[in-house]
Amino acid sequence: MKELISSVKKDYLLGLALQGKRVDGRALDQYREVSVERGVIGTAQGSALVKLGNTQVMVGVKLQKGEPFPDTPTSGILVVNAELLPLASPTFEPGPPNEDAIELARVVDRAIRESQMIDLEKLCIKEGEEVWAVFIDIYVLDHDGNLIDASVLASVAALYDVKPPVSEEWTLPEFPVSKKPVAVTVVKLNGVMMVDACLEEENIAEARLTISTLEDGSICAMQKGGSGFFEREELEKAYELARKCGEELRKKL
Amino acid sequence: MLFVGNRELVVPGKLLADGDYFAGEGTFIEDGKVFSSVVGLTEIREKNVSVISLQGRYIPRRGDRVIGIVTDTHPYGWTLDLNSPYTGNLMASELAGRKVDVFREDISKLLKTGDAVLAEVKEVDERWRVQLSVGERGLGKIREGRLVEISPAKVPRVIGRKGSMLKILQETTGCRLEVGLNGRILIRGKDPAKVNEVVEAILLIEREAHLSGLTDRIKARLEGKK
Amino acid sequence: MEAGKPEKLIVNGRRLDGRRPDELRPLRIKAGVLKRADGSAYIELGKNKILAAVYGPKEMHPRHLQQSDVAVLRCRYNMAPFSVEERKRPGPDRRSMEISKVIREALEPVLFLHLYPRAVIDVFIEILQADAGTRTAGITAASVALADAGIPMRDLVTGVSAGKVDGTVVLDLMKEEDQWGEADMPIAVMPRKKRITLLQMDGNFTPEEFRQALDLAFKGIDLIYEAQKEALREKYLPSLQEEKGEEK
Repeated sequence: MKELISSVKKDYLLGLALQGKRVDGRALDQYREVSVERGVIGTAQGSALVKLGNTQVMVGVKLQKGEPFPDTPTSGILVVNAELLPLASPTFEPGPPNEDAIELARVVDRAIRESQMIDLEKLCIKEGEEVWAVFIDIYVLDHDGNLIDASVLASVAALYDVKPPVSEEWTLPEFPVSKKPVAVTVVKLNGVMMVDACLEEENIAEARLTISTLEDGSICAMQKGGSGFFEREELEKAYELARKCGEELRKKL
Repeated sequence: MLFVGNRELVVPGKLLADGDYFAGEGTFIEDGKVFSSVVGLTEIREKNVSVISLQGRYIPRRGDRVIGIVTDTHPYGWTLDLNSPYTGNLMASELAGRKVDVFREDISKLLKTGDAVLAEVKEVDERWRVQLSVGERGLGKIREGRLVEISPAKVPRVIGRKGSMLKILQETTGCRLEVGLNGRILIRGKDPAKVNEVVEAILLIEREAHLSGLTDRIKARLEGKK
Repeated sequence: MEAGKPEKLIVNGRRLDGRRPDELRPLRIKAGVLKRADGSAYIELGKNKILAAVYGPKEMHPRHLQQSDVAVLRCRYNMAPFSVEERKRPGPDRRSMEISKVIREALEPVLFLHLYPRAVIDVFIEILQADAGTRTAGITAASVALADAGIPMRDLVTGVSAGKVDGTVVLDLMKEEDQWGEADMPIAVMPRKKRITLLQMDGNFTPEEFRQALDLAFKGIDLIYEAQKEALREKYLPSLQEEKGEEK
C-alpha cells in the first residue's frame, strides 16, 4: 500500500527544499533527536531500542549453535532479518517479508558484514561441524522515515550489548566486536540533498543513497534506492554528509 | 442522578447517569443507565449527557465541509480520501457544473490523483457511500495554500465556540482558513511567516485541546508576535 | 524427574519469585506509545513486554471481505524472534493463529461494530519479551489501545491467568509455573459485569479448584482494570492536573 500525499503538500515541500529548508525546520545536514537504549530485552543476548525522531526500531541479537557453511568451515554465521511490523505503519501489511523488508535486512547485513565488526573466525566451536550463529532481528515498531539508519544504529548497539552465552562451548572472554559502522541515508528532493528524511520527505524523494562508513572514514557499504538518479558530484556530496553525520551518530553508540 | 461532573475525564464503561437523562454523543445506554463509550471529557447540558472524545476517526455526515484528496479516477468522476473509513465520491458533472461527456472529455484535466478538494458532504446513504458536492462558492479544487492535518476530534477546538478560535486565528495573522471537519485545514496567506504561525498555533491546539483557557492563550501567543 | 524442573514450585507459601498465591507480578501499562498507529498501549507484567496497536476503523480491503452491516475486527498476535530463550522463527505458526482467533473473540463483544459497516479495525499484538500469560496481557494492552484510538466500547477487556502449582491454586502464572504446573487457565473479562469473553484451560482442576481459580482471577482482574483506566487517564491527566493547580 502506498502513502497518500496531496499535491498541495508535495509542492510545498519541494518549494521548501529549493530554499534549503525542511518541513520541520531542520538543516539539510541535521538529524532528528536520536536516542539509543541498550539491554531492553532480557531474553535476547543483546538488544537495543533506537528512536530517530518518531521512528522507533528495536533489535534483538540471539546466539545459537549451528553448522558452518561448507565453504567457510571455521567461520561463525551472521543472519539478519527485518520485520516491517504492521503496527508500525498503516502501509505495512502482515505477511512474509516483502521487498522493502528484505532490502532493509540485506542493507543492514552488508553494513555489518563488510565492516567486519564481528570477528566471525572467533565464533568457531568445532571446525566444519559447529559454530556460533549470530541472529540479528530488526523489529520496526514505528515508521516515521529513515528506517535504514535507525536499523543499522540499533543493530550495532545491540551487538555491543551482547553478553556471552552461558555455555561450555563459549571460550572467549567476551563477544568479539570491534569497529562501529554507521549508516547515513541521504535523499534527493527537487535536486536538493538532505539527511535523515522524515516520512513526508521520504515519500516524495526522487532517490536515496545510503553510505555506511567506519571511524577512519572508509566506506564499507552503499545502497541506492528509489527510481530517480544521482549525478557524480552528488555522490561526492553524499559521502561528505555520510562522513560528517556518521561521526555524530557514532557518538550515540 | 448524575455520577460525574462537567468536563470530567472519563474512560469507556464509566457510569455517567441513572434516570431520565438523554444519552448524547460518546455514550450508550445499558439497563436504563448512561455510560461513557469513549475516553473523553463529559459535557452536561441540562438533561443531556455527552462525552467529547479526545481521539477518533472522522465519520462523514450530511452538510459537513471537508477537504478530500483524490485517490482514483473512475468513468464518471473521482474517488476522494476523506481521512475516514469511508471514501467520498465526486461526480464530474458536479465539479464542472454541467453535463460531462466522459467519452469526449478528459476529466483528468479537471482533477487528478493527488489533488486536494474543498467539498461538502451532499449525502451519505445507508451503505455509507458518500456523495460530495462543490456547488457552493469557494468550494472546488485547492490550487494554493498550506494543508495541515490534525486529529478530527480536535477540529471543534480550532473552530471554537461560535467560531471564536477561528476568528482569532484569522484576525491576528491576516490569514484565511478553510476548516475541514475531517481534520484537514487549509491556510492561505500572503506572508509565509504568518502562515507558519497559524500552523504552529493549530498544532498547539491539537496538543492541548483538552485544557481550558486555550482560546486566551492562543490569542496572547499570536498577538505577542505582531 | 524432568530435566530443569525445580523440586518445588511453592515453598512456605511463597512461589519461586517470592509471591504469595494470590499476588500479581509487577504491572505497568502506558497508553499512546506509537505515533503512526491510531491507538496503542505498552504493558509490562513480570518479565512480559508487550506492545499493542490499533488501526481503524478504516476501509476494508479486499472488498469481498467487507461485511455490509458491521465492521470486521482483525487481530494478529505475534511473537518476536528474540522474545523467548530459543529463537523463534519469524512468522505466524499454529499456536499464534489460534491465539489471534481467541483474542479477537475476546474483544469483539465490547465493540459497537455496527457503527462502522464495511470498515475494518485491525489490532496488532507484538510480544517483545515473553514470560507466560502473554495472550491475556496482550488482550489487556489491546483494549487500552482500542480506547486510545477513540473506538467506542462498552467496557474495557481485562485478562489474567490463574492455575495450579504444587496442588495450590495461584494467580498470574510465571514461565516456570506455566511449564511445570498442573493447570493453566487464561481468562479475559469485561470487568463491569464480569462477563467472560475468553476462557481456556489445560491441565487438571477439580470443580472446587476451578471456583477458587475464578475467584483469584476476578480479584486480579479488578487490580489490572484499575491500571488500564489509569493508563488512559494518565495520557491527559498530568496536563489537566497542572491546569487545576493553576486555577487554585
